[in-house]
Amino acid sequence: MSMLLKRPPARIAIGLVVPVLILFWWQAQSQAGGARALAFVPLGSVATAFAELAGSGQLLDDALATLSRAVTGLLLGGIAGVTLGVVMATSRLVDRLVGPLYHAIRQVPLLGWLPLIGLWLGNGDGAKLLIVSLAAFYPTVLNSYEGITHVEKRYLDVGRIYGFTSVQRFRLILLPAALPLILTGVTQALAFAWIATIGTEILLGSGSGLGAAMGLAQAQQRMDVILVAILVTALLGFTLNDLFARLRGHLLRWQGASA
Amino acid sequence: MMARPIPAFIPALAPPLLLIGAWQAASATGLFPAQVLVPPSEVMRTLASLAVNGELSAHLGQSLFRLVFGFAIGATAGLAFGAALALSKWIEALFSPLFLAVRQVPVLAFVPVLVLLLGIEEGFKITIVAVAAFFPVALATFDGVRGVPKAWFEVARVYRTPLVPFVARILVPATVPPVLTGLRIALTRAWLVLVAAELLAADSGIGQMMEMGRQMFRIDVVLAGVIVSGLIGFALDRGAKWIERRATRWRTA
Amino acid sequence: MTAQSRISPTPPPAAPRSASGALTISSLSKSFTIDGKPLPVLDGIDLTLRPGEFVSIVGASGCGKSTLLRLIVGLDTDYSGEIRLDGQRIATTSLDRGIVFQDHRLFPWMTLEENVGLALLNTDIPKDRRAQIVADHIALVNLSGFEKAYPHQLSGGMAQRAAIARALVTEPKLLLLDEPLGALDALTRVHVQKELQRIWMAQRSTMLMVTHDVEEALYLGDRVIVMSPNPGRIRRIVEVDLPHPRDRSSPVLHRLRDEILTELTGAPDPANLVRFPGTEER
Repeated sequence: MSMLLKRPPARIAIGLVVPVLILFWWQAQSQAGGARALAFVPLGSVATAFAELAGSGQLLDDALATLSRAVTGLLLGGIAGVTLGVVMATSRLVDRLVGPLYHAIRQVPLLGWLPLIGLWLGNGDGAKLLIVSLAAFYPTVLNSYEGITHVEKRYLDVGRIYGFTSVQRFRLILLPAALPLILTGVTQALAFAWIATIGTEILLGSGSGLGAAMGLAQAQQRMDVILVAILVTALLGFTLNDLFARLRGHLLRWQGASA
Repeated sequence: MMARPIPAFIPALAPPLLLIGAWQAASATGLFPAQVLVPPSEVMRTLASLAVNGELSAHLGQSLFRLVFGFAIGATAGLAFGAALALSKWIEALFSPLFLAVRQVPVLAFVPVLVLLLGIEEGFKITIVAVAAFFPVALATFDGVRGVPKAWFEVARVYRTPLVPFVARILVPATVPPVLTGLRIALTRAWLVLVAAELLAADSGIGQMMEMGRQMFRIDVVLAGVIVSGLIGFALDRGAKWIERRATRWRTA
Repeated sequence: MTAQSRISPTPPPAAPRSASGALTISSLSKSFTIDGKPLPVLDGIDLTLRPGEFVSIVGASGCGKSTLLRLIVGLDTDYSGEIRLDGQRIATTSLDRGIVFQDHRLFPWMTLEENVGLALLNTDIPKDRRAQIVADHIALVNLSGFEKAYPHQLSGGMAQRAAIARALVTEPKLLLLDEPLGALDALTRVHVQKELQRIWMAQRSTMLMVTHDVEEALYLGDRVIVMSPNPGRIRRIVEVDLPHPRDRSSPVLHRLRDEILTELTGAPDPANLVRFPGTEER
């Protein structure tokens, strides 16, 4: 029996057993009628909803809106985060001054800022972008700080021997040595920014975006539309992650197989 | 010989105090309407009155009840699932593709699905907290159990150690540190998701308190909620780290 | 710290010779502070290196050999006594003095070429000539063809040779070698020792090498300084009056090795007695 597990096609087939069973169960629920039929929409209607949304261009619009929000927030929050992390790691004064404030603010659950930001900025794109940027900001600060403070002294000694200026020291030693951890921070930032994008879109429920589409579909009790949006969200999230992992691999190609 | 060093907390306290001072001063100018900026003293007064009239403890009690209940369910399920996935090749083959696919979905995207399936009552909030806790715990448990050196399993086989002592004496102690880290991450994640869920759909809880504050343009109530949710987040993280340190002390001792 | 500056009995700088790179160390002492108490690591070191000379230092762990090199290279300037290179007191690091560490310390994020080139960043060599100089030094250590390789793609011996190229590319008057072959396996070690001898003969800068391998010290050094630990002192200086390149199986080296081992351990190591004469060169 366990021989089966060693054959790739068999493994794929085994992996499909549970999802297929769930789909059958779901389909059965949808035909049971009554109150449950509202939630358990027939699978056929999910496909129809997909075709409809994709055909009208609605799905593409929403996907692009979500994607650009997530990427813009990642860039804004990531750049600010790496900058602050690096400055905190190189300046004791800034570390002492800003560090405690950063750690205090970070304790508030990210989306807990929404009511406050909603009051200040309304529930438009500005408010969403601020939350998404904040989501990307936290992990990049932390990891850049760790990365810079943990650069090995033996490398800094080499810089001293060859008379590096402080700019050279930063550009040729500190930054590349910290890069693996900085990129770990950006990887986390990507995941958080993605969650924050979907979350703010659902919660603020205005404008376009996959989350807004889910929120609207919930109000209209359209489970088929929700499922389509979730499917696209998962695929996009996976793709973003994969693309970034490749970029990271390229930037860290000097680490070799050990990394 | 040495100048007495300035205690570390003085510069640490300076920026928050400055910020609060500037905030108080800015609101005293009267340039900002009360829907945009209220002085910190006002926020503190609101916080105090919410605490005294019992409103705060009612909201907090609701939120913490949901958190504890949902987290307990999600973490238990995550532990069992992660361990099963790591120990049995068959369970791994059957469930890991589905698990990996579902993991791609941001937890908050389950909110609309669960609202349609369960309504917006307690069941929904507890479920979303449980889902939020499930994934990090399952993943950490899987990694933890897989991280147990193969040699230990072989030793157990050589000595024919029965299953129960094997689990209790070898498997559990070896996997405790990574699992505790997973539980801590799951706890803060669960708190985040709960506050978000309460903002969206609830008749009580810290999140709902903030959302009501927003709808009534009571920025003092919103800020009181921000402070309380931050303090809870801090306490959860610190508490979990404390337990983590105590439970893993044997490793260094 | 008792950093009393005293008038050192250093002779006035020698008249300029054809080659520079004369190192003069006089009354050098160094101590670290551990738990508030001074712990002496080097005590009263007097040593002069002639330009172009190869000097080896051997001694047990804890005799302050590596500390001595850190002081000479200028990474640590907290000492009493005098260190002068061509008459100039050493106060900080300088491109006059190169160093090779036991760990190669190539930057993992740079290619071999970039690693060697970084030593030239702050020299006044014109930019268009730098590439040629880097290529020449990579060729000197027999690594041509590996210019674009990252350190993780190089073997231990290759990485150490690359580190030697980086240290030599600025044409320092003095090259310090801090157990440069200590992390290599025995066969690679013999090979890189030969390389080092060839490089030194081609380059002829003054070299000071710390090692705990007595054979290596004798094979390469014009003189071998034997140090004793706690605190580090010079115990004996052995002249090795043999021309380069040397034959590893020379009876002179053999005899000196036994002498030094006796000095260091009290008795010649029987294991070494058996192994040494049988050592064959590739």
